[in-house]
Amino acid sequence: MASTVLVVDDSAMARKMLIRSLPAAWDVEVRQATNGLEALAAYRQGDVDVMFLDLTMPEMDGFQVLEALRAEGLNCLVVVVSADIQPEAQERVKRLGAIAFVKKPVDAEKLGVVLREYGVAL
Amino acid sequence: MSTALFSEDQRDALQELTNIGMGQAGASVAAVLGEFVMLSVPRILVLKPNLIPPALGRIVGPEKVTAVRQGFHGDLRGEAVVVYGVAHCRELADLMGYDEALDEATERELLLDVSNVLVGACLGGLAEQINAEMGFSAPSLMATEVEVASLLDVQRMDSPCALFVEVNFSLEKRSFACHLIMLLPEDQILVLRDAIDRFLASL
Repeated sequence: MASTVLVVDDSAMARKMLIRSLPAAWDVEVRQATNGLEALAAYRQGDVDVMFLDLTMPEMDGFQVLEALRAEGLNCLVVVVSADIQPEAQERVKRLGAIAFVKKPVDAEKLGVVLREYGVAL
Repeated sequence: MSTALFSEDQRDALQELTNIGMGQAGASVAAVLGEFVMLSVPRILVLKPNLIPPALGRIVGPEKVTAVRQGFHGDLRGEAVVVYGVAHCRELADLMGYDEALDEATERELLLDVSNVLVGACLGGLAEQINAEMGFSAPSLMATEVEVASLLDVQRMDSPCALFVEVNFSLEKRSFACHLIMLLPEDQILVLRDAIDRFLASL
């Protein structure tokens, strides 16, 4: 069965780069959101298995999305994909429930390792 | 004027490439200051030179500013300016663990060091992604405690437009913030645009 992934980033290019970095053998349905508010709306519609979440976004940033998701039970795996590479940013998102932090620009191999660790991709 | 110099895709790409440079700069300065740096989405504007001072004023507010400039050259040529509100300059000394008021020379050195880290990481990160070779001149103090409007001598800019890339860094627990502006003259905007096109084509 295909997994549903939600790619959240204000940049169309960043979303495209992330989608192209997903493991080729992974059967996914890709949905997209351009800010935190859209991400939450998409999440609430259900079925999202994995969310790829940028941190620096207008309207509502990635930290705020993680907090909101936690308040709602965090029913999906969240991989933060961000250029904010401060060690503290990485610790914070993990404390907020993200399973992993992947830095931009995304390295497809490292992303694959993270996903396989959680058994969500081949 | 010519926002049309960039298509939507080119602007989006430049913003994201700048975002990655900004992230590297934020991490570098966080390491120097030992504080968490809050980042916001970079803003990209193509402006006539006379509209640059009001754009700066909008970012910095009414307070006086001190600024450091640093030229860059090579595949891409222009100038980076790091703008600090005057109160924030003093905060910097405190952040760096100086107990007493700094003498002017030490404070200046501190500003130059922090600016150098920011500019090097931010523009270096951008350049790396578009495969541009870029060198930096030494940072120099541009103005001390001046009105924003008098910071840049826009009369002397001979380019009909300039690219204004705004990156803001602030600290969560302290009232420190600074702003990095990258200014490119029109011919260099076109060079950058071509580099972005090559980058996009390689995706």
